[in-house]
Amino acid sequence: MRKQTLSLAAVATGAALALSACGGVSTTTGGDDGGAYPSGSVEMYVGADPGGSSDLISRQIAGGLSDELGETFSVLNRSGSNGALAAAEVQQAEPDGSIISIQNASLFAITPLAVAEDEVTSIDDFDVVGGVSRDDYVLVTNSENPWTSIDDLKGAGKKLTYGTTGVGTGAQLACALTYESGDIDSEAVPFDGGAPALTALLGNQVDTACLQTGEAIENIENGKLTALSVYAPERIDFLPDVPTATEQGLDVEVYQYRFMTTPKGTPQDVKDTIWEGMQATFETEDYQAFNEQNSLTPLEVPGDEVVEMLESDRERYASLVEEYGIDLGDAS
Amino acid sequence: MDAFLDGFSVVTQPGNLLYCLIGVLIGMLIGVLPGLGPAATMAILLPIVVTVDPVAAVIMLAGIYYGAQYGGTITSVLLRLPGEASSVVTVFDGFALAKQGKAGTALGIAAIGSFVGATVSIVALSLTAPIVAGWALDFGPAEYAALALLGVLLIATIGSGHPVKALIAASVGLLLATVGRDSFNNSQRFTFDSLQLADGLDFVVVAMGLFGVGEILYNLEERHGKVHVPAAVANVWPSRTELRQAAPAIGRGSALGFFLGVLPGGGAVMASLAAYATEKRVSKTPERFGRGAIEGVAAPETANNAAATSSFIPLLTLGIPANASMGMLFAALLVLGITPGPQLLEERPDLFWGVVNSMYIGNLLLLVLSLPLVGIFVRILRVRPAILAPITALITILGVYTINNSVFDIFVMIVFGVLGYLMKKVGFEPGPMVLAFVLGALLENNVRRALLIFEGDPTGFVTRPISGTILALFVLAAVLPIVQAVRRRRTATPHPNTQREDSLR
Repeated sequence: MRKQTLSLAAVATGAALALSACGGVSTTTGGDDGGAYPSGSVEMYVGADPGGSSDLISRQIAGGLSDELGETFSVLNRSGSNGALAAAEVQQAEPDGSIISIQNASLFAITPLAVAEDEVTSIDDFDVVGGVSRDDYVLVTNSENPWTSIDDLKGAGKKLTYGTTGVGTGAQLACALTYESGDIDSEAVPFDGGAPALTALLGNQVDTACLQTGEAIENIENGKLTALSVYAPERIDFLPDVPTATEQGLDVEVYQYRFMTTPKGTPQDVKDTIWEGMQATFETEDYQAFNEQNSLTPLEVPGDEVVEMLESDRERYASLVEEYGIDLGDAS
Repeated sequence: MDAFLDGFSVVTQPGNLLYCLIGVLIGMLIGVLPGLGPAATMAILLPIVVTVDPVAAVIMLAGIYYGAQYGGTITSVLLRLPGEASSVVTVFDGFALAKQGKAGTALGIAAIGSFVGATVSIVALSLTAPIVAGWALDFGPAEYAALALLGVLLIATIGSGHPVKALIAASVGLLLATVGRDSFNNSQRFTFDSLQLADGLDFVVVAMGLFGVGEILYNLEERHGKVHVPAAVANVWPSRTELRQAAPAIGRGSALGFFLGVLPGGGAVMASLAAYATEKRVSKTPERFGRGAIEGVAAPETANNAAATSSFIPLLTLGIPANASMGMLFAALLVLGITPGPQLLEERPDLFWGVVNSMYIGNLLLLVLSLPLVGIFVRILRVRPAILAPITALITILGVYTINNSVFDIFVMIVFGVLGYLMKKVGFEPGPMVLAFVLGALLENNVRRALLIFEGDPTGFVTRPISGTILALFVLAAVLPIVQAVRRRRTATPHPNTQREDSLR
């Protein structure tokens, strides 16, 4: 009898534990039962860990879509290989809009320069719904250093180190192009993401670093870091006093942007519904404040324009990398 | 000072107190559940907390984090499943105590140590946050490399098993750390062309396999049909002697934990590890460690709570998250429209001091709650393995899936589970392997980073003051046991040179 009571207690405890564990698992009912989209909860894969800008943007859009379209859009983090693992999830999914993803341009335009042929993710395997926002890179140095422009770096008189947010990232490409095309003696030091690179720069462990604007702006504004250049086509609103690389005589334009994708062959009406929901989200004050907070420039253009941008950026980057003999796959 | 006191008036608002309580309760619960860590929990709750007032939301999320440090102990002691990586070393003596029927004592001393460690750390945080943050920035790649090297050495001295076997396990751990795409030249290492392995093996998955699944399998075979630990849990209040025994360990653990927690990257893990190794070193009876030494529970549990608290310093003063959980808190702050960074203290003193001071209250709540609740958790022990094993296996599998939403991870965990089971059968401890695995990646990447910065000149490691000091400690830690062994042999067989040996030392 005693034994039985204990077993019952065990089952009860176990059930309670299992239930709480289940809190972490999302369930999806799919959206292919003929009704209007979305007919059930939608999973949005993000190819990065919680907390980074990719994750935050996905969560912000997911919240907006849930409000606009009435079903739950939940974010699933599937980080790894610069987003290639999340991309694979979407690529393999049923093209019914139940699994969608906001993806990064770098996976399609920059990563191919750094990885083997068979690891390349192609944009042709997805339908692009529309653009979301642009995230700019900025070249920064610790303000203890005397440099205030790229020209100053040329006269530094020593081999300069630059921290990057990893191999095959836009930050690495922007910095590598700056130093190579500016003919400045340099050494790349890859870090595991933006935060460690920022820490190293604040401690003056590396001379310069290329970071995303949102990661660096706090410390630029409080004077701990000096911004030397941005890599956008024109000056960005968040750092109006910082000249572009082009202004400083270097033909370097590198930026990250994000856009909504669905599996190849998703019905047009589903994509239209998602795009309408996104456009309604873009209009909200909440979303605009979010962009402001994270130093993101809106890039709310239709899907075919995004595809064109990706194609031209990829070709442009490939020819620049070839011209200056840069091997993104080998930082050392 | 005014802002500090205002912080208390922020915390004691009924709503904030309630969120503090909810936070620490959730934290303790998920700490008990192997696999569901504070980072994952925060990720799940993030969509909900954004609807709450920012200060209350951050107080609650912080509560989840330090509450989990209390909860993690419980599974370490009772089930030999570290709920958190920072509770790994607690397993050695905590589980040994549980087997002797002293699970209650172990949990009681851990709760008291945790409380003391956290409190010391909060006081120190309040006083030194701005100063310490500046110091932490002097840690560059060279310093991290030196620290990791010291850590690898310390690994060989922990663990209850044979030192040579510990070294072998640690070496395998270092090798496992090389799996994945090389983060400097992108070449594939042991990935078998699989994208799933391109980013290497996930530490949490490996640890859950080796410790969790391995232990479940081993227990099923060893004690099939028998009760896990038959003894009822006696008084959770430790005796006066036990308290006296644990007090110095708690003191040292608090200080060590505070300092190591400030360093970005793996602070709490390294703190618990270093605290355990320190206790073993200073102990007059090191052979008790791994067989139920009370200091072996007190020191790491004190240190990991102290480190968990002090890891808020780089986040709140510099906007740099020191670990995955702080990363989630960073994300939550951004979602709430607050940029963590140097301006936080000036712009939102209510938030800064509200959160810091909520930790005093939260830890008090945890101390009050965890001692009586231990009795409830302990009942899990009386469950037969045949019932417990499938339940824990199920929770572990669910938990490992939720980390990366990856089915592949489930298989990786099972493979390491079988490996952990086989290791145990032939007398290898999985602990050193897991810890070397973590430090391996840190060591390799930072050595290479440092060499890039030094333009290939390795003397930079010893000429930089902090890394030089750490390396000197490393040499000391490596040479001291040998010197001691020699001395012991000399004293055993009287020798005319004993006098000189002493003066040399």
